[in-house]
Amino acid sequence: PAAGRAPQQQRRGPEAALPTIYAITPTYSRPVQKAELTRLANTFRQVSRLHWILVEDAAARSELVSRFVAGAGLPCTHLHVPTPRRYKRPGLPRATEQRNAGLAWLRQRHQHLPPPQPGVLFFADDDNTYSLELFQEMRSTRKVAVWPVGLVGGRRYERPLVENGKVVGWYTGWRADRPFAIDMAGFAVSLQVILSHPKAVFKRRGSQPGMQESDFLKQITTVEELEPKANNCTKVLVWHTRTEKVNLANEPKYHLDTVSIEV
Amino acid sequence: NEELWVQSVLEMPKRRDILAIVLIVLPWTLLITVWHQSTIAPLLAVHKDDGGDSRRDLAAGLDSKEYCLSERDIVEVVRTEYVYTRPPPWSDTLPTIHVITPTYSRPVQKAELTRLANTLLHVPNLHWILVEDSQRRTPLITRLLRDTGLNYTHLNVETPRNYKLRGDMRDPRIPRGTMQRNLALRWLRETFNRNNSQPGIVYFADDDNTYSLELFEEMRSTRKVSVWPVAFVGGLRYEAPKVNAAGKVYGWKTVFDPHRPFAIDMAGFAVNLRLILQRSQAYFKLRGVKGGYQESSLLRELVTLNDLEPKAANCTKILVWHTRTEKPVLVNEGKKGFTDPNVEI
Repeated sequence: PAAGRAPQQQRRGPEAALPTIYAITPTYSRPVQKAELTRLANTFRQVSRLHWILVEDAAARSELVSRFVAGAGLPCTHLHVPTPRRYKRPGLPRATEQRNAGLAWLRQRHQHLPPPQPGVLFFADDDNTYSLELFQEMRSTRKVAVWPVGLVGGRRYERPLVENGKVVGWYTGWRADRPFAIDMAGFAVSLQVILSHPKAVFKRRGSQPGMQESDFLKQITTVEELEPKANNCTKVLVWHTRTEKVNLANEPKYHLDTVSIEV
Repeated sequence: NEELWVQSVLEMPKRRDILAIVLIVLPWTLLITVWHQSTIAPLLAVHKDDGGDSRRDLAAGLDSKEYCLSERDIVEVVRTEYVYTRPPPWSDTLPTIHVITPTYSRPVQKAELTRLANTLLHVPNLHWILVEDSQRRTPLITRLLRDTGLNYTHLNVETPRNYKLRGDMRDPRIPRGTMQRNLALRWLRETFNRNNSQPGIVYFADDDNTYSLELFEEMRSTRKVSVWPVAFVGGLRYEAPKVNAAGKVYGWKTVFDPHRPFAIDMAGFAVNLRLILQRSQAYFKLRGVKGGYQESSLLRELVTLNDLEPKAANCTKILVWHTRTEKPVLVNEGKKGFTDPNVEI
């Protein structure tokens, strides 16, 4: 049997200079909510200078989440905004209002603070799985960074295609013709870009299912500007885990990817 | 000639040159190494091993601001951030928690183990025994374990396949994970001396459940076998041991077969290592076990109902959730509800 023991390491560093990572997590009440938030918090608490923005889909702050936030063990902002009933139909994008509330809070908070406040924000759904390495990768985002996402789009993973350090296309099982064929878990945006594009929000009117990410990103960046992370987008550091069986129906028989990636 | 050459080679690096190089290069090397790694891991500060401390800290130092943003109330909770090394430094006084996790290859495996590791990395004196259901230890798991930094043991044993069905199907008469858990028990018995007083607790943690950090601190004080509620099992919001006023377990609050000797899920109990070593023939029964009786097959060889130690506030708090990759079935709650709705899950 193989046994291992990590050497005890003390790491000290210039904490003040580290950009803050803002994780915007929409959440809603259902039986597994507390479990999902618990294991997500267990991951986030391993990351230094991470500020969690938790937004409930609710008309009022719930007891469960309030109690949870009080004992969460990391800096946390607890917001809430209810999704209008007319937008709760299947097929319509979810969590739009909640993500926008997170963006609004960030913008409001920073309008009174002197720049530069280095920061990176990403959208962390409460049922996904995040490796610690992902946060290292996203911390150096200058404008908009992208990386592969596991178990999404009916595939083992989706990823941006990268040539010479630039994104040139998308390896995806669903509508690769989208301007940004990427999942919500596959990108991060620097705080600077969010603040300098005050009107960039997730759309409701005229939004097609599956176009949320694309519609948002085209307001703030271009494909040429994207910064590929995770070893030129060949490592899976985040998984779109869900509470149902994994759908691999879209794994291609032909036109396989040029690299072999573990998910 | 050769002697002269050798002698001149030996004389070449003079002592003061070496000293100068070391004194100049070493500090810079250290500095660069430390600065490079600073983005990876949090700073070391005071870390208390009592999981409840973080809550007390918050109550004392809470600084909350409230202001309105249009119709929305925003409450900002500003906490003192505590950071620590990953995993926490080994302590000489805490019993080791040996976490036994069977695992098998499927698309979500790495994701499940990643988020489980992210939880385990908070727990002091934790030893992860990961047992693969495979013919050989796989590179994926080998790499994953090494990269976590956890104290681990990597084992494997393959559940025999059922050749009557399609090639890859395991023998359905053997519940999943049984051979792997038993292998870990055997490893413990071969590794630790019965007379050795290294205190330890054994816990079976499946790779898709969700564990709070508080759970590990509750189980650390186990003297024989401790028990607690588990959410999302048996078709309920949670199953729990029944505890009387004297703090003794006298039954099981379940709908599915509450008359099992131990009507409890694998995630709902922990065993003191000493007991595992003493009862060295106690294993999970491999075959002929009725659904839901797996846990009983081991526990009845270890302990009686009366000896069980209830944890989690006399079994009224949920500290572990039997999460799965499907929606929880709550059909046994019935129309009026079976479990106490005031117990938050």
